Amino acid sequence: MAENEDGGGAGLPPLVSPAADATARGRWRALVLTDPIHKLVRNAAHAGVDDDVYDLRQLAMAAVDLAVASMGFAREALLEEVVDALAVLAARMQSGEEHAPRWRDVAQLVIKGLLNDAHEQRRFSYTFADLTDPGATRFDTYSFRLLSLRDTEYGPVLIASDQAVMLFLDGLDVDIEDAEAALAHVLQRQLDDERFDAAVRTATMAERTSLGMSAMLTDLLDATSRDVRSHDWLVDVPDRLGRARKHVAGRIAEEDKTLEHVQNGLDGDVSPAVRVASGQIVDLLRRAKRIHLDLHDRLVGARDVFLTAQVRQRLARRRRLRLLAIGEELFTPILALPAEPATAVVETFADRSLGVRVPRLARFDDIVDLLWAPPRQREVAEPDVEDPGDEDPTEDIQRYPEAVLRTARDVLALTRTAPLRLSALLDAAAAVDPSVVDGAVDDVVELVLLSALWAFAPDISGDDEEQAGEVDLLASGLAAGDDGTALNHPLASGADLLVTADSPASPAGELAAALSSEGGRR
Amino acid sequence: MTLAALDLTDASAAGQLIGFGLTRGARPVEGSDYRNLLDRYRTDLRFKDTVDTFAEGLGLEVLGTPRTGLVLAPEPTGPFATRLADLKTAMDAEEKLVFGLILVAVAAYAYPNEVDLDDPDTKLVDVVKLDDFIRGAISGLRAIDAPDVSNGERARTAADVYADMPSLIPTPHGRRKQGCTLRAIEIVCGWLVDQGAAREAKTLGPDTFQLTDRFRLLVADSAGSEALEVLRTARRTEVTA
Repeated sequence: MAENEDGGGAGLPPLVSPAADATARGRWRALVLTDPIHKLVRNAAHAGVDDDVYDLRQLAMAAVDLAVASMGFAREALLEEVVDALAVLAARMQSGEEHAPRWRDVAQLVIKGLLNDAHEQRRFSYTFADLTDPGATRFDTYSFRLLSLRDTEYGPVLIASDQAVMLFLDGLDVDIEDAEAALAHVLQRQLDDERFDAAVRTATMAERTSLGMSAMLTDLLDATSRDVRSHDWLVDVPDRLGRARKHVAGRIAEEDKTLEHVQNGLDGDVSPAVRVASGQIVDLLRRAKRIHLDLHDRLVGARDVFLTAQVRQRLARRRRLRLLAIGEELFTPILALPAEPATAVVETFADRSLGVRVPRLARFDDIVDLLWAPPRQREVAEPDVEDPGDEDPTEDIQRYPEAVLRTARDVLALTRTAPLRLSALLDAAAAVDPSVVDGAVDDVVELVLLSALWAFAPDISGDDEEQAGEVDLLASGLAAGDDGTALNHPLASGADLLVTADSPASPAGELAAALSSEGGRR
Repeated sequence: MTLAALDLTDASAAGQLIGFGLTRGARPVEGSDYRNLLDRYRTDLRFKDTVDTFAEGLGLEVLGTPRTGLVLAPEPTGPFATRLADLKTAMDAEEKLVFGLILVAVAAYAYPNEVDLDDPDTKLVDVVKLDDFIRGAISGLRAIDAPDVSNGERARTAADVYADMPSLIPTPHGRRKQGCTLRAIEIVCGWLVDQGAAREAKTLGPDTFQLTDRFRLLVADSAGSEALEVLRTARRTEVTA
């Protein structure tokens, strides 16, 4: 670009103003901060989520807002809470129960996009071409995260990065402490000029800024108490903590003054509109003050943690050098190793990466149980449990309908007058009026046939439930004998059994009552 | 520095803290005994020494104190050691290799570089993505390292063993059957959950697991360097042989 300006020759003024050049990096960063969100919207199309139906950008903003807003307080936003909250918003974008399963998918998609799950949750990385030096172009990489997942004593939480806080504050790459001070001045002026509507807006922004700053410092404080090794302890951390303490203390005093100012204004004779606006401003300022007070407490405490940590850092050396790159230096070489030595390496790794296991004494009861229990086949998938459906016995499709039972009983009752051949019974069953049994003549025939077989040879093994139930009950008053006559019937073949009723009272009488109460299965 | 005699209440407190560290599911929430002891460990140097020494006697080493609590690593010969062989009975050599390889792959996927080992961010592992990651690494390796024809038959490498196993064998119920790599990854993730090295992250979908600080520290300060040592020896013998 610079060469073009020099060698353009036409005497044209440079197209890029020096001022624009100086701010290029800041503006470029503001631009790049939103890029992960555009990417996640593009990726969502592949996952079948329609951008026109679900406003993914707004959902992403909501996720960032939730994470930033809860970092100022004792507990960060739990992953589950954020996903739930996004699902509720998604539900408002596409209401209707039939869409319900989608809502959570959409929420998951947004969170995964913000975590950069598509690239193993690495940082988002962008390259900036630095053109300030006319002689050479330098390429800088700007890497950042928006949200990150942390494991805490409460469960997984979402942490907003400094860049996410910027996004939360309208995407401007500004010094947040300066921004807070500037907003306070603007607010003061607006109050002096009695521009209450504007003052409400400014107060809202001031409150958001306080939240953002609190979020940034919370992360730093957390790192302070957690791990000394990850931060620059000599210069950066003490510096930032000191500055933050001064700033927060200053803000608390300022906020008191502004609050007093607004409240004094309310004592006089004011219009209802002003009263409402002032009320809002007071609320916002109080909230900002609470955030600052909370932060101040923690900053003061952090001083001690910081000092002891410093001592500890001097005394406790890092024990080992950490392995360089597991991917390149361990994983890839293992893959190339012959199977046997590779097993030795991965076993060493496994034995040490699995951590502690508390030995438990084997108890006699457990051992006996183990010996009794059939060998467990862990890998066989559990069978899908069939839905038993309604328990209403009349609706049970496995059961013979009541009409079929009654008709079969009537057919079998013929044996009470005289012994009958199975072929005759089958004919009688086949001849029943279809309208009586709702067309299920075949069921009547089947039932009669099964009853006769049961009477001949009851299935006492009991493991075949299909035979139980109606059949044995119907057959219980019957006896069947094989006298050598062959059965020649289109429905069955074998011996033409001679079926007789044991006692004239059976099988109809009391069995009918038993049948109706004890519905078995076919 | 002269050392005063050890206060017995300190010994008791140190034991209690180690007990919390060994208890699965103990969480140092604000105001709990665990939290108070953990804060004391972080700030009171003398107490820290007591705890560290106490742990050493038990065959344990304190690796760190992230927010989730004390992370302990067992001496491989101590009473608290976990072995791969303990987790699944009757593993044949190939199974052992595949399971171990998956564990290394989980670490390589989540913490590819040194900086990642110092980063307190929790990483997510997805069963299908991890299989893709391993298979991708294998095909990348084959692209560089074409089979050596002159050598006649080449010894079967770890990559071959993994690649020869099918990715997915479905059961009639649509699950993953034993003998495929996706099922093996599922099993390994289950172990990690049992050992407190991972948690199921159902909020973000099925098959998704979230690694804990415990796994990160164990990999960074114990497993990684030891495995590298064995790897170096193995390669040295391979070269000299």
